[in-house]
Amino acid sequence: MSKTAWRLASFAFAALLLALWQFLADRGLVSRVFFPAPSRAFDVLGEWFASGEVWGPLAGTVWRTLAGWLAATVLGVVLGAAIASAAVTRDLFEPTVEFLRPMPSSAMIPPAILLLGLTDGMVVAVVVFGSIWPILLGAIHGFRSVEPRLIELSRALCLGRVHRLWRISLPNALPEIFAGMRVSLAIALIITVVAEMLSSRPGLGQMILLAARAFRSAEIFAGVFMLGALGYLGNLLLERVEAHFLRWRPAVGGT
Amino acid sequence: MTARRILLGLAFPVAFLALWEILARAEVLSNDTFSRISIIVPAGVAALLDGTLLARTAETLGSAILGWAIAAAAGIPLGLLLGLVRPFERLLSATVEALRPVPSAALIPIVLLIYGFSLAMSASVAAFACLWPILIVTTSAVRGIEPRLLEVGRALGFGAVRRIWAFALPAALPGIAVGLRVAFGIAIVVTVTVEIAANPRGLGYAMITAQQSLRAEVMYAYLFWIGLVGWVINVAMVRTERRALRWYWAARSAQ
Amino acid sequence: MTLSPDAALGAAAAPRDRAPIFSFRDVSVRFGATPILDKIGFGVAPEEFVCLVGPSGCGKTTLLRVAAGLIRPQAGEAIFDGRAVERPTPELAIVFQDYSRALLPWRTVAGNVELALEARGAPRAGRAAEVERLLGIIGLSAHAAKFPLQLSGGMQQRVQIARALAQRPRLMLMDEPFGSLDAMTRQSLQDEIARLCKAERQTVVFVTHDLEEAIYLGDRVVALRANPGRVVEIIDIALPRPRDQLTTREHPQFLEYRHRLFHHLRDRL
Repeated sequence: MSKTAWRLASFAFAALLLALWQFLADRGLVSRVFFPAPSRAFDVLGEWFASGEVWGPLAGTVWRTLAGWLAATVLGVVLGAAIASAAVTRDLFEPTVEFLRPMPSSAMIPPAILLLGLTDGMVVAVVVFGSIWPILLGAIHGFRSVEPRLIELSRALCLGRVHRLWRISLPNALPEIFAGMRVSLAIALIITVVAEMLSSRPGLGQMILLAARAFRSAEIFAGVFMLGALGYLGNLLLERVEAHFLRWRPAVGGT
Repeated sequence: MTARRILLGLAFPVAFLALWEILARAEVLSNDTFSRISIIVPAGVAALLDGTLLARTAETLGSAILGWAIAAAAGIPLGLLLGLVRPFERLLSATVEALRPVPSAALIPIVLLIYGFSLAMSASVAAFACLWPILIVTTSAVRGIEPRLLEVGRALGFGAVRRIWAFALPAALPGIAVGLRVAFGIAIVVTVTVEIAANPRGLGYAMITAQQSLRAEVMYAYLFWIGLVGWVINVAMVRTERRALRWYWAARSAQ
Repeated sequence: MTLSPDAALGAAAAPRDRAPIFSFRDVSVRFGATPILDKIGFGVAPEEFVCLVGPSGCGKTTLLRVAAGLIRPQAGEAIFDGRAVERPTPELAIVFQDYSRALLPWRTVAGNVELALEARGAPRAGRAAEVERLLGIIGLSAHAAKFPLQLSGGMQQRVQIARALAQRPRLMLMDEPFGSLDAMTRQSLQDEIARLCKAERQTVVFVTHDLEEAIYLGDRVVALRANPGRVVEIIDIALPRPRDQLTTREHPQFLEYRHRLFHHLRDRL
């Protein structure tokens, strides 16, 4: 079977599962409270878009995630370049980075609330802290692994330090930076949602938490669906951007 | 690990903590929001001595382990199946791609509804978050198996189940082990996140209540403790993985 | 005319009547306690194509890097334009053997050549035209928008050569540039580099371990022995130009040079 045929088949399968859920919900075979029929969730979505009440929270979640993630990217790349530049800086900072890496970034939310209150700034700050690690590590590794021959070339061409960083080290580190960016985006979305839940900032996180408290399960699923869609779209866009910047790479043996 | 590198590695954290203490004493850093190292450490020790620190830690670890185990129990067999039987993987691709980008935090309201405040709540979210890395890593580990190996199994007349158990699983084990290790880190992070967001159990809850009752020193004590626990577990898992695989390889070559 | 090893060691001057634009004077290099090069001395006249040949480990690659200013010798010096070479300068262009690692994989062919122009600080306006001209000379115009990893080995090496030419170097240093290529590509590139350098009136120091390549390409061949690297013979190549892969290699003089150098190199293995 061709690739597109399989694609269609997998969509059909997913639709089948959805239909099964619908069937079970309609018959009352699963608790209507916990697992509302998909049709009800879609109804809610329809209402939300029709009344426009979803745009505000959606925009809120999106901009907070993006702001934090972009800031984390810039910071991660700059710090990564700095740390990678000398053995001394590596020895100074890599242990700390290694220690902080497994730290749950949501654990920074309570201190952030203490410092910054229940504000958008708090959310973005925590997103930055949480999503910087994959990018930072990718950047450090990417900047360190420059082909020695290219370093020699940059010396032979008398490229200044800045030129070398910009023209050689950075493009060389891009593949690893992008890999880190992809992981970071997923993390950023999660932290935004959690921070929104805690801080009651208007966003999708807050929406679904309120829906849970009011036992409006269809709304929860509608919100979860939107968050899933956001995650999916974000990743897709990033992959496209990455494919453009890394189009020079030879095609690896595909599956 | 030369003495120089150890010293350099400790230099930054020590300087950071010292600076914190100095600035806090000088009241440059507000003691209400930042507290002082000299107060934070005794608060932590007190929590340790009266048993709350360890009790909270046990709650967090319990949820994390449970969620991780569930994800492994579901993800490894499913991964084996998807890796070995291509049509299944293709059929399920849309479903997996739709579910994977859902931020695990988004499930908090749903499981809150279903399980209320409980061990099961944290464990379910952790299980969801761990499932995807385990599934993907297992699938790709199985795909990477030398095809010759499986042919040998078929040639020897082994049935499908036997082939999986005796050939596919052992060959994929190193890859699966890495996935399990990474997933456990995720389990801890997600559990703490759920505790901070909603569930009144464990270390995350201890942090957020300390913040809400404005006991900054307790909050920071738990923050450092979480960092320490996360790091220790990470190091322990890396070592265990290495040792376990060494034993494994030795046993295989002895066969 | 050949110089005996002793005479060659003492003389930093080129055997032609023109003053050398580049010379090595008693260059010695050590890596730690191991001597790599010992009192290397010879000169390169303008527009001359000098081939450096020797067995593996004789330090010819190291010598080239000394010439490029990438390595400082422990004793002696490389002299360019009357001054000692202490650091790299754009007027000395080096072409590496491992072309795939010396090109920027994320830049197109044109982009890679342009790198030399950027490094030189050439004004933006004229860059595209210059790149186009160089790609035309080297025969890569059709591939300007391709990425290095999409090209064959021979083409990648040509990109490197084009980049070196973009530096407008007074001296081109080539480190076994054709060593990683198959025989046919090597031969066609040999002819191309010979034609190119004569047309552009380029001065070249060309390192190779291939004796016949050295004789085929060179106006002069400097033979090194190994452990440590020392000049054993310098031979003027009096073969007619332009050289031809078939006829030149069968020329009796070619064979005589080959004999002479072969013995020197073999003795020292």
